[in-house]
Amino acid sequence: MANASKSYAHPEVLVETGWLAEHLADPAIRIIESNEDILLYDTGHIPGAVHIDWRADLQDQTIRDYISPQQFAAVCSREGISPETTCIFYGDKANWWACYALWVFRLFGHTRVKILNGGRDKWKSEGRPMTREVPKYPATNYPVPPKRLDHEIRAFAEDALAQSKSGKPLIDVRSPGEFRGEITHMPEYPQEGVLRGGHIPGAKSVPWKAAVNDDGTFKPAEELAKIYVDGCGVKPETETIVYCRIGERSSHTWFALTYLLGLDNVRNYDGSWTEWGNRVGMPIEKST
Amino acid sequence: MNYPPKLNNIINLFQTLPEDERRETLVSYADAAKKQEPKPGEHFELEDVRKDQECADTVGVYLHVDEQGKAHFRMTLGPEVQTLTRAMTAILCKGLDGATPQEILDLPSDFVTRIVGAELVRVRSQTTYYVLSRIKGICKVWLDRQRMAAVA
Repeated sequence: MANASKSYAHPEVLVETGWLAEHLADPAIRIIESNEDILLYDTGHIPGAVHIDWRADLQDQTIRDYISPQQFAAVCSREGISPETTCIFYGDKANWWACYALWVFRLFGHTRVKILNGGRDKWKSEGRPMTREVPKYPATNYPVPPKRLDHEIRAFAEDALAQSKSGKPLIDVRSPGEFRGEITHMPEYPQEGVLRGGHIPGAKSVPWKAAVNDDGTFKPAEELAKIYVDGCGVKPETETIVYCRIGERSSHTWFALTYLLGLDNVRNYDGSWTEWGNRVGMPIEKST
Repeated sequence: MNYPPKLNNIINLFQTLPEDERRETLVSYADAAKKQEPKPGEHFELEDVRKDQECADTVGVYLHVDEQGKAHFRMTLGPEVQTLTRAMTAILCKGLDGATPQEILDLPSDFVTRIVGAELVRVRSQTTYYVLSRIKGICKVWLDRQRMAAVA
């Protein structure tokens, strides 16, 4: 499978727009669009792509948590996905939600996952085909995953607290203003109910955007290594936790660290600041 | 509540639609949002162009109140504005055309759920109400200025 081989640890997890354009009808893949803009897929999408909504499809509708293994199997079956299907995710916002959806698929143990480098904007900017036709694939019988990998690639508040106390790498990928505690939401977004501003003590600020070029494609491995290995002290033998506000921007950084730099011990704290900044008694650090 | 007639027609249309057609119709309105931009030669009593925290890009609202006291709106949207906001722009510019600024200011916002659907409102509440809040805002400024002029 063609990809951007820029010395990434796992270059096979990225596909380029040119490659995808030649494989739109490949029965072994399923193209999945996942966006922040909830109606964007409806306005036009890559031919053959299905839509997975991060909130309606991947999250439990009552408890703040992800869907059950049974529900995940139902989502995959609905979209004609089997464990052998290679799922290629793309979306708006330089693939925030695509990375988030990929991370959730990994939570359920789906191993064949890839990201379209540059996402929806790059595909569109190159004048590649878009359609409003919603594809229908024969339903599959996706086996119910035995468990969610909650303790392998997901971190909870207690894990982040322990990480903070131990001094191991914690990366805050929010905007500098959020990190400093001046605001509790990212610029240009609504305040969605966080009572305290700041960051988890010991966290280093590396906004998610540090990992991408202007066109939304990922930076080469050596640049990523300078940012995260040299700048934040992440290393293969030490566990790293990433977080943001609700876990989507940190999924993007989790993807870069896990697949592009090849770090096996990275977990995404999806409770992120909307949990930490509201939870009674959690330590908070502010900086200028 | 008696809604302005044009808005009432839009509400009634959306209420009959199943969910998939509701989304399609919202996208059709979003496609038509560009038609709401000011046309050459048009005159406005008030213009309010700004970038708010609540929205992903700049939104401009232009108000003309005719001799009968009826409001007419035009709007401009930056390229990053989300699809649902575009849809609400076209819906509200059409639906509120010809209502008075006071009628618009008094309008309860409950109709938004009947157009957009409870699910989209639940997951994108800030987005769905943003355009209405901007239109109400410019109407309030216009009414305040009218009152000040009346007592001057």
